[in-house]
Amino acid sequence: MIWSNFILVLVSSFFLWLSALICHKNEFLKRLFILLGTVSIGIFIAFLWVKLERPPLRTLGETRLWYAFFLPAIGMITYLRWRYNWMLLYSLSLSLLFLLINYLHPENFSKTLMPALQSPWFVPHVVVYISAYAFLAASSLVAVRGLYQHYTKTLDRKVLLMADNLVYLGFAFLSLGLLFGALWAKEAWGHYWTWDPKETWALITWLGYLIYIHLRYHMPTKFRSSLWILALAFVILLVCWFGVNYLPSAQFSVHTYSQAP
Amino acid sequence: MSIKKPIWQQPWGYAESFIISFGVLCIGSGLELVLPVNQSTLIYPFNLILGLSFFILLVLAHVLFRKTKIHAFLSGIPLTISLVSALSFMVILMGILPQIPSQQNGLIQQLGLNRMTSSYPFLLINLFLLIVLGFVSLRKTVPFKLKNWGFVCSHWGLWIVIFAGGLGSGDLRRLRMDVYENKTEWRAYDDQDRYCEMPLAIKLKDFLIDEFHPKLAIVENKTGDLYEAQKPSMIMIEKDLICRLQGWKVKVEEFYMTSGRAGDRYYQLSDFGAAPAAKVRVVSPQADTLQGWISCGSFNRPHESLKLNEQFSLVMTVPEPKRFSSEVTFFTPDGKKQDATLEVNKSVTVNGWKIYQLSYDEKKGRYSDKSILEVVRDPWQPYVYIGIFMMMIGAVYMFWKGRESVSE
Repeated sequence: MIWSNFILVLVSSFFLWLSALICHKNEFLKRLFILLGTVSIGIFIAFLWVKLERPPLRTLGETRLWYAFFLPAIGMITYLRWRYNWMLLYSLSLSLLFLLINYLHPENFSKTLMPALQSPWFVPHVVVYISAYAFLAASSLVAVRGLYQHYTKTLDRKVLLMADNLVYLGFAFLSLGLLFGALWAKEAWGHYWTWDPKETWALITWLGYLIYIHLRYHMPTKFRSSLWILALAFVILLVCWFGVNYLPSAQFSVHTYSQAP
Repeated sequence: MSIKKPIWQQPWGYAESFIISFGVLCIGSGLELVLPVNQSTLIYPFNLILGLSFFILLVLAHVLFRKTKIHAFLSGIPLTISLVSALSFMVILMGILPQIPSQQNGLIQQLGLNRMTSSYPFLLINLFLLIVLGFVSLRKTVPFKLKNWGFVCSHWGLWIVIFAGGLGSGDLRRLRMDVYENKTEWRAYDDQDRYCEMPLAIKLKDFLIDEFHPKLAIVENKTGDLYEAQKPSMIMIEKDLICRLQGWKVKVEEFYMTSGRAGDRYYQLSDFGAAPAAKVRVVSPQADTLQGWISCGSFNRPHESLKLNEQFSLVMTVPEPKRFSSEVTFFTPDGKKQDATLEVNKSVTVNGWKIYQLSYDEKKGRYSDKSILEVVRDPWQPYVYIGIFMMMIGAVYMFWKGRESVSE
């Protein structure tokens, strides 16, 4: 069972990233270790894909795995662009947290994939969403950082610009995920939007970031409320991702990744 | 910024916008309480006439009042944000409260909160948003500047999606058809089981289903619940599988996808209703060995489990479908015939109707002779697609350009 080898990934990523932290003075080694840690998650995903004989995107644990893979990648990209070490640190820790959650909540190794999900839309729809979630998580980390800096009166304007850029990227992916989903649903079921609880919460998430973008555009100097919105929007995103399964409205959702036989 | 201006003094800002949005919500809720439940939807040609007049009025208002303060307010960001917030508030309610008809008549039902999308507050806020979005898009489109193309695409795209999707919902026909093997069906029924005749007939020649192997699982004898002390709690059965399930070592000695019991064992056979079965050897944590047959049964055969001890039993789960499809022939009134295979995620269009494979008789599983199809007619689909593609272009633009640095 391939999930029982998962501890290997957790341990190797942890130690590779720890090595990156230890030799953070050496730019080359730091980048190399971060890259290797990320690649090891990628290799596990590839193995899982082959062994499961289906894209590993169906269960919550599988989506967490992709997330843990995208986060360090995005952390690295933002690091290359903005040169903030803390950004790397945040995204790597968050990624490790998600790997740890996966380790503590093992799942069944299940090859079954319901016919509804057997579509060329399946992979782009989920992958685009997961990368949106990763960008938006990064932007919320930046927002929390910005709020901290604001209240300690050390706010760096570059932080706001970085938050904006991450939101723009994340929002673009989020919109594409939503639109891919609508097209897929139309082609597969005959309707774009059925107000399934997951769809409803995805729309709330989308609207939350829409408000942030417009507020920032209109009032670039009033950053405090924008930063609060950005930090809170991530809470909604998490409700959409994990919380929906526990809501009273979710009994008949096609998006609950049920484990029942 | 400047000193605080008194409320309701021009130019209006956030305070006025939020008060107006709140007012719209209140008016909507009031209408909901007073007026009868809004069930009618507009159908062709009334939706087209209404839509066209709305658009013409919008353009006319834009041309006439383009330079006024009220236009600036109506196409401004504060009003946009307040309306989007009001919409978010309603959608959050919708995400929490189940959207199902209810026999009770409490406040939730009276305010229409359990059928939000057809409630007056929801319709009014959306209409208002459509006006604001229309004004903004018009302002950025005329006069057209090339650098605004991303903005124009995303905003008009969204406008078209809401406009065409909303107006077209009355013309959308979504029906179901139950077709049986070797029979021809031309009637479809809606979600209230009202039947109507279709302009096409469907003959089901064959219904095919391909299943995954069933899984091994351990259940509690008393409750029948799945025992999940450790993961994996379910393992797919393969020939000669040896695995460990919650401390028990299980070996699959024989396995048949279709079989029947005769005497003290199961034999492979392909009768109607033949079910999967496996002969297993189980070694308990105390090193006791058990042997026996398990089967998940079928609609006409009993299931069989293996009792491990007083508390637990080993069972076989019902196999999940891997793929199902219908071989059909379509007949249209003009005398044409067309053969096709319908499969989930692979629809076929005939005579303006899109036909989808939806389900089958799940009790009978692989022996189902019934195929449930969904038939959909949506004449507004191309227009919604135009909007969706424009929004996609807008998203790609956003991804490409990112946030342009604003001089603060």
